[in-house]
Amino acid sequence: MVDEDVQLKKFQKELSAGTVSLALLAVLARARQPLYGYLIAKELEQVGEGVLSGKQSALYPVLRNLEAAGLLESHVEPSSSGPPRRYYRINARGRTVLDQWIRAWRATRDSVDSVLEDVPK
Amino acid sequence: MNIADSTGRQLPATIPDYLTQLRAALEGADPAMVQDALYDAEEYLRAELAAQPGRSEADVIADVASSYGAPEEVADIYRETEVTVNRALRTPKTALGVRAAPVHAGGSRSDASAAIPMASSSGAGLPDPPLPPAHRSPASRFFGVVVDPHTYGALFYMLLSLATGTFFFSWVVTGLSLSLGLLVLIIGIPVAVLFFGSIRGLSLLEGRLVEALLGERMPRRPRYSEQGRSWLQRIGDMFTDGRTWLTLLYFVLMLPLGIVYFTVAVTLLSLSLAAIWAPVAALFSLSVPSIYIDGSNVLPVAATPILAVLGVLLLFATLHLARGVGRLHGLLAKHLLVRL
Repeated sequence: MVDEDVQLKKFQKELSAGTVSLALLAVLARARQPLYGYLIAKELEQVGEGVLSGKQSALYPVLRNLEAAGLLESHVEPSSSGPPRRYYRINARGRTVLDQWIRAWRATRDSVDSVLEDVPK
Repeated sequence: MNIADSTGRQLPATIPDYLTQLRAALEGADPAMVQDALYDAEEYLRAELAAQPGRSEADVIADVASSYGAPEEVADIYRETEVTVNRALRTPKTALGVRAAPVHAGGSRSDASAAIPMASSSGAGLPDPPLPPAHRSPASRFFGVVVDPHTYGALFYMLLSLATGTFFFSWVVTGLSLSLGLLVLIIGIPVAVLFFGSIRGLSLLEGRLVEALLGERMPRRPRYSEQGRSWLQRIGDMFTDGRTWLTLLYFVLMLPLGIVYFTVAVTLLSLSLAAIWAPVAALFSLSVPSIYIDGSNVLPVAATPILAVLGVLLLFATLHLARGVGRLHGLLAKHLLVRL
């Protein structure tokens, strides 16, 4: 039904609001060198399911916000294929925040899972 | 997923076409946001194209439409994100701080396969700030200016503009005359090229300053000329781009504007502060504050409290003036530095 689609989309949107930031921070924390937008998008695409499989253009504004919030650092390097790329790297504050987010995420996930377990199919 | 159906129109075949469609889809949005969106899209598209050598541009773009998003979807995502981000980052509004939130042009997405907008910001979990009361009395509107952060940003900008204005003006005048003067020798050409290149950097810098202090959304990424042009052509583009010349005009204007801003701010601030402190000075110092007209003092000591009240009113009027100047200057900067 159309109405259910709308409900689903709305739910995915709300769900994605924080998880995308979390996933981006995690990708950058795992990476050994700074990554630019396209590489981060491809990294997420490999594992992306659910709300993480949304349009990749949405990642760029989030990256900018994380940088503005002081969790990421960036620099620009020229590239041969197009406009200069902005490389992002997680900083110490970002790692601290990520640790807290991971704990919050795991706690939420576990409790949501335990609530969902008893829901009859 | 049928991509052509999901967007409702023909997919672009080349990267410039894609960017043109994206620009068209973002019609009416904040020009600074459009510049950022085009920059991001171009980075992604060029990287995707470079990662798949041997495939045609049209094929790559067809793939990109499902991963990065078709132009219309991308436009929707940027519009939504800008709204979300503004809501999350906005300081609680005062009745005066009615900064126009970008118009949300949603509702254009009716298909099932469209984007799940990962609209988010690091602060997206925050509750929305409370809405401002609909009506405020004229008095609270007048005095409310004191809690608007942009007031102080604008005031600081007015004071700072003497320094930045002098610098920009000298840079432009020196650069232009050096380039022109040395043009008879061959060395004038590289000097001119370097000078015009520096203008873009300075324009971005001034944009960041204007956004931070005056609250006008300005580009966060530099502008790039079309790809696939030789460096000689690109240098030519710098000279034929109208924006380069408008930026020069802005920098030249910054000297007189900076002098006026600085003078007005300093005069009004010191005048109102002096008036406010007049009763205290009358109490504690031997020299009685006085206003001389034709050699005779027209200000009795008893009148100094009235002077203080006038000083307070003048101070608030000055804050209003600063905010007004800040808005006007923001508009000026946007028109001269971010023309599309």
